[in-house]
Amino acid sequence: SIKSKTFILLYMITTSTSDVDMAEIDHFMPLLMQHEEEGLLCPVLSHGSVHFMWIKHSNLYLVATTNKNANASLVYSFLYKLVEIVKIQSYTEPPQIRPMSILEEESIQDNFVVVYELLDELMDFGFPQTTDSKILQEYITQEGTKLEVAKSKVPTTVTNAVSWRSEGIKYKKNEVFIDVIESINVLVNANGSVMSSDIVGSIKLKTMLSGMPELRLGLNDRVLFALTGRDKGKTVVMEDVKFHQCVRLSRFESDRTISFIPPDGESELMSYRINTHVKPLIWIESVIEKFSHSRVEIMVKAKGQFKKQSVANNVEVRVPVPSDADSPKFKTSTGNAKYVPEKNLVVWTIKSFPGGKEFLMRAHFGLPSVEKDELEGKPPITVKFEIPYFTVSGIQVRYMKIIEKSGYQALPWVRYITQSGDYQLRTNV
Amino acid sequence: MPYLGGEDTVRELRRALSNPNVQSDQLRYRNTILKVIRAMSQGVDVSGLFSDMVKACATVDIVQKKLVYVFLCSYAALNPELSLLVINTLRKDCQDPNPMVRSLALRNMTNLRLPSLMEYVEQPLTAGLRDRAACVRRVAVLGWAKLHNLQPNSEIDAAVVNELYSLLRDPDPVVMVNCLRALEEILKEEGGIAINKPITHHLLNRLKESDVWGQCEVLRILQRYRPQSEDELFDILSLLDASLVSPHPQVMAATLSLFLSLCSGLPAVSLAALERVRGPLLAACGSVSRELRFTALCHIQLLLRSLPGLMGAHYKRFFCGYAEPAYIKQRKMQVLVELVNDDNVTMLLDELKGYCTDVNTDTAQAAISAIGRIGRSYSDRCLEILTGLLALKQEHITSAVVQTMRDLVWVCPQCSDTVCLALEGCEETLQDSQGRQALLWLLGVYGEQVSSAPYTLEVFIDGVRSEVSLGVKMELLTTTMRLFLCRPAETQDMLGRLLHYCIEEEPDMCVRDQALLYYRLLHCGIEETQKVLQGRRSDPSLGVLIGRPSEPISQWACSFNTLEPLRQGTVETDSTISASRCTDASADVPASSIAAPLSLSLSPALSPEEFERLWLQRQVLHSEQEQIQFPAIPHCSPQSLQAAMQLVNIQTLAFTPPHTLPWRVYLYTHTQHAGDSPHITLILGELLYTGEEELKVTLKQQPRDDKALKGFLSILTTVLHTLVTQLVWFIAR
Repeated sequence: SIKSKTFILLYMITTSTSDVDMAEIDHFMPLLMQHEEEGLLCPVLSHGSVHFMWIKHSNLYLVATTNKNANASLVYSFLYKLVEIVKIQSYTEPPQIRPMSILEEESIQDNFVVVYELLDELMDFGFPQTTDSKILQEYITQEGTKLEVAKSKVPTTVTNAVSWRSEGIKYKKNEVFIDVIESINVLVNANGSVMSSDIVGSIKLKTMLSGMPELRLGLNDRVLFALTGRDKGKTVVMEDVKFHQCVRLSRFESDRTISFIPPDGESELMSYRINTHVKPLIWIESVIEKFSHSRVEIMVKAKGQFKKQSVANNVEVRVPVPSDADSPKFKTSTGNAKYVPEKNLVVWTIKSFPGGKEFLMRAHFGLPSVEKDELEGKPPITVKFEIPYFTVSGIQVRYMKIIEKSGYQALPWVRYITQSGDYQLRTNV
Repeated sequence: MPYLGGEDTVRELRRALSNPNVQSDQLRYRNTILKVIRAMSQGVDVSGLFSDMVKACATVDIVQKKLVYVFLCSYAALNPELSLLVINTLRKDCQDPNPMVRSLALRNMTNLRLPSLMEYVEQPLTAGLRDRAACVRRVAVLGWAKLHNLQPNSEIDAAVVNELYSLLRDPDPVVMVNCLRALEEILKEEGGIAINKPITHHLLNRLKESDVWGQCEVLRILQRYRPQSEDELFDILSLLDASLVSPHPQVMAATLSLFLSLCSGLPAVSLAALERVRGPLLAACGSVSRELRFTALCHIQLLLRSLPGLMGAHYKRFFCGYAEPAYIKQRKMQVLVELVNDDNVTMLLDELKGYCTDVNTDTAQAAISAIGRIGRSYSDRCLEILTGLLALKQEHITSAVVQTMRDLVWVCPQCSDTVCLALEGCEETLQDSQGRQALLWLLGVYGEQVSSAPYTLEVFIDGVRSEVSLGVKMELLTTTMRLFLCRPAETQDMLGRLLHYCIEEEPDMCVRDQALLYYRLLHCGIEETQKVLQGRRSDPSLGVLIGRPSEPISQWACSFNTLEPLRQGTVETDSTISASRCTDASADVPASSIAAPLSLSLSPALSPEEFERLWLQRQVLHSEQEQIQFPAIPHCSPQSLQAAMQLVNIQTLAFTPPHTLPWRVYLYTHTQHAGDSPHITLILGELLYTGEEELKVTLKQQPRDDKALKGFLSILTTVLHTLVTQLVWFIAR
């Protein structure tokens, strides 16, 4: 069931084997509020023998109810899948309707028929059925134009061997766009030592290919190079590799070949994690001096620890300041700094940040003479950035082979981006 | 459902629905129905439109059909008679050439959930099982489950059950998995679907065809299967091996669950499986979804109960992010406490110290008590941090620190000096009853060592009239009595006042009775009072036997991958159990040391370098080898082994991590015969386990003294024996 702040937006029509009374959901909101007040919020709340497993998405709560000792991780992943699918389906919506890509109370109200349809296909009798969004798209008949077709045509993917791709797709120009995106997560201690770091990578495809093409992707995967006895050049060890269902896992497991028939349009082909020590690409040194009752002085030095040829774009250094600070003054060697009082932050923006360079920002705040009683946490400095044409792990697409029986020539385009993920540097104050 | 005053809306909608002009215009008709559904989902009671909506069902417009079905399924229970009218349309749709229409009709027919309609549903459902479109078969299979769920007492049609069993071989993986689900529901009374060898192997071979949901379902149901031979078991395990490290945490968890249930008789294989999932579990701890991260943490806590050392090297993965919710931070801290060892203790305490000033007071207090738990093995460092926190003079922090100190001092009485020093002055910051109770308890038990104790008590007693907490009043009585016993001159007067107030004026019966009890006790004389009030103290010689003994996997295997681990508030170390273990150990050990009149001593301490030098200087030392039957020793954690050894003054110097082969421990001690002081020897020892039945003990002694060596060996054996009894299940299997 889906529930908003004050009233239920939608019921999941499906009743499941656990036979939880629909009225039970009325207990959820009071329970949530009570736990929140007591600071005991938890993803599982229980009322009698009924358990509510919930997630929050913008201003919506998605709640699953059960009275069994259900598989928790499965339930949560389903709820997240639900959000993901409902968002994706927004592409089929006419533009005048608020897009579902921001899933929130208002967009659900605008799109509730689609949501009903989706829920109906996603789950039957409390059991997940089809959660592949490409397949689901074919079931959803909301659009008026689809109506005539839907009467006679069976969704091809329902009967097809390749469930994620329909037959008879045609493009004038055959192209594949490959995006290799790596997010870097870093946690740096107040004394400057890197506590943890990892890279989460993702390879995304935008496929515009006719027919049923067979694709093969070659990466500089260390395991593969070791298998084939090649050892020149830089290689990468990937962990937790996840593939789109189109990739033939058995082939990957036996000879590390990534071969597949791609879904049409945009899709995520694979994701991976690399758990190595990475040098934080943008290094921050900060001195925050707090003189009680009078002022705070902040000095932040940012250094680009990546190749000189590369440039980080849209860099944002977010420095926390006390909530009672006032009268900000800034001085920056480049970019500009802005005080965001509702978030208690100074945001220092640098549009373009070349590798190897160093920049400075100084900020000065006044503090009231009467100090606040309550304790404030020590929020870390966070950094956002994007470095194009560069992957921090060194992963490379060595080739992308495209074979289709009609024998057309197709062009693969590759683009690399490294961006900040959860990038935190703790401070002393 | 809230009623939002929609009478006008309903009237208007009815008028529109019955308007022939609307009905003839497909788009307008559909839009009107859309309005009905919109009103319905906003909480307007539109049940009155049922008959109009039934009519709207007969249409070729699929969208309209879907909308009407949504409506009908919500209100069918209120209008069972009218619902009969829908059945005809639905049955007709079940014959439609479009499989989507067929599956839609079939699904909604079973979703009406009306027992009166059952006879009409069975025939289309039977036909649906043999439909050529997989999407219809999927719906039909689950339809039977719904039907049975609606009338659980109805007779089970053997033909249907047989058909469902045979559909397990359906080419569509969702149909296959739905069959499992349906049979589970229909055969609930008989314990669910019968899983035999052919079904098991069929399901396992097709596992990869299903999506995550399907795989998890199959893996869960297979837990019921018992392989007929060891060979078969290992065949299954090797088939499952790839899923065990699946990148999908749900599949990994379901596979592990199956592994554990299949290998319940093979603890070694189970332990190896736990090692295999370490990577995937850690990855799940870094999941973007906080709920999934939380779930992974809770399950890691289960694993640590059996393999405390499993995550030791990865402690940094459990450091808390600033913006993480409190429930995750608290679980992470619980895990961190379990992972502490000599190598990481400094880093770990530094990190926990940072959490003590978290804005969320619950998180801060949890961090403080986590430090207290670590204090049982690293008391000096932890007390330093705790004492430092008192200087912040924050109410909730001080309260948590004092409570933590109370708990720590009970387990490690040797900390009492530091604690007593730290207590001075903190009564000013304490506000809540829990914290004040803890302070009073400490003052009562260690009153002699806290010079200001009587003054602090006096403040409490002066304010007793306005005291609201029952617990504080009771604790105050006991504390004043205890303090009176050790510092009578300073306390006598205030004790009199307190007893007088409690007996004469106190409204609460419990407090009054307690005061009367103490008053009468004092009449029995000071010795009797002392016996009663000072009897219960922890024994400093008990020392610390920290580190929970590892539990057998079977203790938690059945709750793995369910909701249960998330709901257990905290994995508590059962203090009563560990306390009784302490006494067991101490009861055994002194007995044997008395038998051999030998005392061991740790001083002068030996540095690891010195140890190494002496160990390698073979010729100077007398060396002896012994075999002892203790195959389980290598499974105990270094911490518990070290603690147990320290209890009898044997210092352990170096360990290989648990579960590695060959497993080694180096230790040393000085022996001394009771009575004659000059006869001191140094013993160096190595415990070596190479995977055979026995543990090889190599001892080197300087100077040679066989009697002392024998005595030492018997003490060592006893300690190891005590440890083994904690791990006895390992041997039992």
